[in-house]
Amino acid sequence: MAKSPDEGRLELLQGTLDMLILRTLQWGPRHGHGIGQAIRTQSDDLLKVETGSLYPALHRLVKRGWLKAEWGVSEANQRAKYYRLTAAGKEQLLREKNRWSQLVHAIGRIMNPASAGPERED
Amino acid sequence: MRPDDRELDDEIRGHLALSIKERVEGGEDPEAARLAALREFGYIPAVRESMRRIWYSRAFDACAALLQDIRVALRSLRRARGLALTIVVTLALGIGANAAIFSVVRGVLLRPLVNRDEDRLVYIRQSAPSAGAQNMSFSIPEYRELKARATTVSAFGDFSTVDFTLIGLGSDPRIVKAGVVGGSFFDVMGLRPVLGRLLNAGDDGTKAAGAAVLTYRFWTTALDSDPTVVGKAIRLGPSPATVVGVLEPSVPYPADTEIFANVVTSPHHLGVVMVEDRTHRMTEVFGRLAPGRSIDDARAELTAAHAAIVKAHPESYPPGAKVQLSVKRLRDQIAAPARTILLVLLAAAALVFVIACSNVANLILARSVRREGELAVRAALGASHAALRRTLLAESLVLCSGGAVLGVLLADPLVSLVTRYAARFSVRALDVTVDASVVWIGAGLAMAAAILLAYVPRLPSSHAAGGLGLASGSVRMTAGTSRRLRMFATTQIAFSFVLLAGAAMLLAALVSLQKAATGYDMRQVVAFDVPPAATGVAGPKAVDFYEQVIRRVGELPGVQGVAVGSFVPWRDHGLFGAGMPFTVEGRTPANGDAPPRARFRLVTPGFFSVLGVPLLAGRDFTDDDRPGSELVAVVSQSIAQRLFANGDALNRRLVWLEPYFGRMKVRIVGVVADVDDENVGPGSPLTVYQSVRQIGYGGRVFVHTAGDPYALVPAVTRTIRGISADQPVERGATLEDIRAQVLSPERINAFVFTGFAGIALLIAVVGVAGVLAFSVSARTREFGVRLAVGSSPRRLLARVLSEGVVIAAIGIAAGAVGGFAMARVASRFFEHVQLPGAVPVLGAAAVLVGAAVAASLMPAARASRVDVLQALRSE
Repeated sequence: MAKSPDEGRLELLQGTLDMLILRTLQWGPRHGHGIGQAIRTQSDDLLKVETGSLYPALHRLVKRGWLKAEWGVSEANQRAKYYRLTAAGKEQLLREKNRWSQLVHAIGRIMNPASAGPERED
Repeated sequence: MRPDDRELDDEIRGHLALSIKERVEGGEDPEAARLAALREFGYIPAVRESMRRIWYSRAFDACAALLQDIRVALRSLRRARGLALTIVVTLALGIGANAAIFSVVRGVLLRPLVNRDEDRLVYIRQSAPSAGAQNMSFSIPEYRELKARATTVSAFGDFSTVDFTLIGLGSDPRIVKAGVVGGSFFDVMGLRPVLGRLLNAGDDGTKAAGAAVLTYRFWTTALDSDPTVVGKAIRLGPSPATVVGVLEPSVPYPADTEIFANVVTSPHHLGVVMVEDRTHRMTEVFGRLAPGRSIDDARAELTAAHAAIVKAHPESYPPGAKVQLSVKRLRDQIAAPARTILLVLLAAAALVFVIACSNVANLILARSVRREGELAVRAALGASHAALRRTLLAESLVLCSGGAVLGVLLADPLVSLVTRYAARFSVRALDVTVDASVVWIGAGLAMAAAILLAYVPRLPSSHAAGGLGLASGSVRMTAGTSRRLRMFATTQIAFSFVLLAGAAMLLAALVSLQKAATGYDMRQVVAFDVPPAATGVAGPKAVDFYEQVIRRVGELPGVQGVAVGSFVPWRDHGLFGAGMPFTVEGRTPANGDAPPRARFRLVTPGFFSVLGVPLLAGRDFTDDDRPGSELVAVVSQSIAQRLFANGDALNRRLVWLEPYFGRMKVRIVGVVADVDDENVGPGSPLTVYQSVRQIGYGGRVFVHTAGDPYALVPAVTRTIRGISADQPVERGATLEDIRAQVLSPERINAFVFTGFAGIALLIAVVGVAGVLAFSVSARTREFGVRLAVGSSPRRLLARVLSEGVVIAAIGIAAGAVGGFAMARVASRFFEHVQLPGAVPVLGAAAVLVGAAVAASLMPAARASRVDVLQALRSE
């Protein structure tokens, strides 16, 4: 686990953090720390979320009604806040997923014109 | 739902614990793990702040901080109760006075009338200001022709005031102010009934049945809102009529009308004189602007039409009078008389507000100087300027809201006081009440004051952080602060001076009016209204009635003399207009000069002796001056002196030029002393008296009594009713009381202004006393040193006293200059701006200097009693 920090790390794209949080919570509630860890491990340490961005984002999602927060006890035997997807959050995740794949597709067509889609005849 | 600060902390703590645990499990040393976790987390307060921001806006935090400051302010003000109370009361006076005046101004000048589309409603008036006729009214032929030429006004309504004797509502016959109106009147006015119906075109003409509509006020006050009143049969003078409805609450212009009746109820309105005589003017005219036409259009068109009418009939207008026509919105016409007085009151209230604010500013400034030590400590500990300002703002907010609440509570009684006062000038003031706007005005003024006051004190500057002042925490006064304190005190004196001088001017005018000799026997003469129309007969029969009254009332014990006249001094002011043009035989007026105008009064023999007016030459009327004999007149001394050589008027002839009189010629048989029965300020008017018996009109009975005049009133009423059962006998009062009644607007003017000036004076005294008290307490050390080096206590006393007098003197000088400038500006907007004479000005100045000396006495005494040792030890 002791890799030198910040090496080869990717900057999160603007606006994708919310989507990643929603996605991470798809399989059940987690606390803030767990969400951060999940994003890191699932991205093979390529993505790291700063707490200064993660927690405000979590509170913003709660305020919008996409997440629900509940107090529980963590593995460290400490009070911790667990976040859970709400029904509205699930819908939002779906929307963001669709948007994301559209975006990837569109950007992919620009970046790799040869491999994408049928060729046009001029 | 919203997480509070504890919850945010818990969440962060939970995160750190997990992070540490993970690292320790990974094999790190616990202490190193803790440091690494903290490092990885970042600056905790910043993260927590960004989490908070999701839930709480910046404004919310600012409010919370202000609330906290307010709590602190409440606590610290509890320790300075006297000061807080002074500030709150001072502000309450300023805010209360303003709120009250504002709501009256709003109600009287700005509120729309209840009439439908009231901004289309115009009032048309014919006047001849050069001949003293502010309102000539219209004759029916003039009205008819004007109507025929108008296209900008779609509908006209006519109204004429008549005093009817009303029989059938209530037990006694009574005189009511009635408006005889055409069928279009209510439709033009755009009013609705609350009961029954109003008058319409079906009520016009000679064949219609008599119909009457009651005004809301008459119905509620005189009839206790009797719901069964509609359908009742009544008599209006000699004519029968039925009450058909009650009008909604509205402003009954042009008179304090109590009842409206259709034309058929007034035989006079059907007569040939009313309908055909161009000079018989008693009709007021209202109109509704045609769709799409502006009031300017109407003004242009009607003025032109009127000029043409005047040109076509020059013989119908008094010679030399420049007759003109005005078209105004009805609302403006109704508000006009109250406008000036209300604006003046508004200015006075604004002055009081400025005085109150500057006094409060003074007190707060003095307090903040005392707190300089505390503020310096807070600034040194890192409090920002904004935070310090917020502390001050919180305190002034607390004080000002206290003042506002008290002020708004105060506004209610003040409004009822001012409305009773303003009702003399505009009927609209009657139903003005405190409304929500007062609360907003109070709150607005308090806010303005609070913010202003928070910026009065200077904050300790950060670079010269404290030094000695910080350490000792004692009061020190900088030259700047002292200058500001004095400036505010001077401002108060200056504004108070303006108000005091104004009040003194009104009081002086009132005193001179009250002391003025009138030429009448004021105490023993009682005047009654005994209107002639009640009997339903005019001419000789009416005269017989009055002669019977004179004979029978004269037989009552305690009665020394009885006479009949046509005009009760002052009470009937304006009843017959401003006098009628006449000339005397043998006098050739200079070319183009307007002829002189005289008041025309009808009296019976004995009138002059009953009222105590001395006969200077010739004879009184006698019973031989009767219809058919030569017309005779008695004239006032001014006529004799101004129009005849050597004042020799006896047996000369006088000719009336008023078209309505048809060049009536009379011989002068007597000269009496001048009495001014129109104006309370005595003048030397031209008055011509003629005989009741020869002209056939009376209406007012005068009784000279021996003992208590009012004890005779019931007996006189009974006696007159014995002659004619349905005869109203009303308003019996001595001339003295009538004059007092007529003077009451002047008295109330003086009273209200003196009230304002009194408040201002009180505040100014508090201000001067406060400034000096503060200056003395801040200079305890200086006085101690002075006493130690041999200054006598008396010299210190004189020194402080002279400081007070200097403040007062500068304030008075500034007030005099400012007041003079204000009068100059005001004279551009108002017609009658008077500058007070020397006596009121000197009086006001003396009062202020006296008040300043009184206010300085206590601080001065304190300065002279300073304990030397304590003073020197105090630092």
